[in-house]
Amino acid sequence: MINVDVFVDAKGLSCPMPIVKAKKAMDAMESGQVMQVESTDKGSVNDFQGWARSNSHEVLKTEEEGGVYRIFVRKG
Amino acid sequence: MSAGAINAIQLNEKVEQGVFLLDVRNPEDFADWKIEGKEVRSINIPYFDFLDDNENIYGQLPADEEIVVICAKGGSAKMVADLLDEKGFQASYLEQGMQEWSQFYRPVTVMEDDNLKLIQVNRLAKGCLSYMLISGGEALVVDPNRHIEEYLSLAEQEDAAIKYVLDTHLHADHISGGHELAEKTGAVYYISSSEMQGSELSYEPLEKQGMLEVGRAEAKILAVPTPGHTPGSVSVLVNDRYLLSGDTIFVGGLGRPDLGGKAAEWAQALYDTVFTTIASLPDDVLVLPAHYAEASEIRREGYVGAPLGEIRGNNEVMRTANRDRFAEKVAHAVGATPPNYEEIVEINRGAASASPEKATELEIGPNRCALHHG
Repeated sequence: MINVDVFVDAKGLSCPMPIVKAKKAMDAMESGQVMQVESTDKGSVNDFQGWARSNSHEVLKTEEEGGVYRIFVRKG
Repeated sequence: MSAGAINAIQLNEKVEQGVFLLDVRNPEDFADWKIEGKEVRSINIPYFDFLDDNENIYGQLPADEEIVVICAKGGSAKMVADLLDEKGFQASYLEQGMQEWSQFYRPVTVMEDDNLKLIQVNRLAKGCLSYMLISGGEALVVDPNRHIEEYLSLAEQEDAAIKYVLDTHLHADHISGGHELAEKTGAVYYISSSEMQGSELSYEPLEKQGMLEVGRAEAKILAVPTPGHTPGSVSVLVNDRYLLSGDTIFVGGLGRPDLGGKAAEWAQALYDTVFTTIASLPDDVLVLPAHYAEASEIRREGYVGAPLGEIRGNNEVMRTANRDRFAEKVAHAVGATPPNYEEIVEINRGAASASPEKATELEIGPNRCALHHG
């Protein structure tokens, strides 16, 4: 189990809003804390990888269940 | 103020005149598939890099000309274009992104005389080419893509009735509109029966059809069997002068023989095609393929094609008369397969179906049917 510090619900939002919302939440987090994002926008899953890379965050895991993508990101 | 939206038709005009594109998709997506053109300059800065107030990235953008922002579906491009607009740049964005661009078709007249008009329909984003041959009020459509309204409205503009629809082979990179277009217009649909084994779709076997007459004029079509890419591939020779070559010969090379999992066997068939069927055709036959890979293959006249002699001259493998060496070169130069090709083949055989949304998703990405030989 991953210990989640912050939960972001981006379900129903389309690009670029999932990342815009995640970034806002991330700005308020401490380094090392973990965010769980839930998104229904398939395209945003790859974008989270790119976003994490260019901001030195780490994507710990992504999973899909019934059209909902769960992405776990540790703040760098 | 906010940045203006443009559509694919407007973008195409800009692409032809020269334009600066800012693509804000993921670097992987950009590397895989992007808008290209001889006069296009483009850079890739992902949209999420604009979320930080990093002033440095704006230095890479021109201050004195329009910047068109591109993304997958339009949402991120609008956000970035609005940001640029606030900073004083001249920015616009492609309203529905690459999704819209992948459905844009541009017809170009290849030739026209009293008896015959040959139009190439270029689906720019996919590098897919299809053809409409018109004579005496009748039309033959070759390799139509799935947005069949394009062909219906073109035929209407040309005042021609679509009489025949033909697929040169079972396509692996895009969903064919052939069967649907024939059904809609009451035209006869031709494809080689070896491509359609087990298929429920109605079609006429192309291999039995030595010639098709279109219109009252002397516009005759000879089906030249050119197996290799797929075993039932054919090319269509129009008036002994224009070779609609399907995926067998491209401006830049030959079709890939590996998509049936029988690369070695089909490479042999491709050899026979090149050194017997094609070898007998003169150098001045104009080759008009079903795909192209680079904007440089678009001629000054606006269509994609090249005289057979020019292709022979530029393409070493076409001159490799040693059978084994030929097969080796062809089978080893194949690269990445078209995305989702197995699923697309099933749809084109009528063994599976796809909603328009699913079809769009399956077709995303560039064309990978051509081989690139130096």
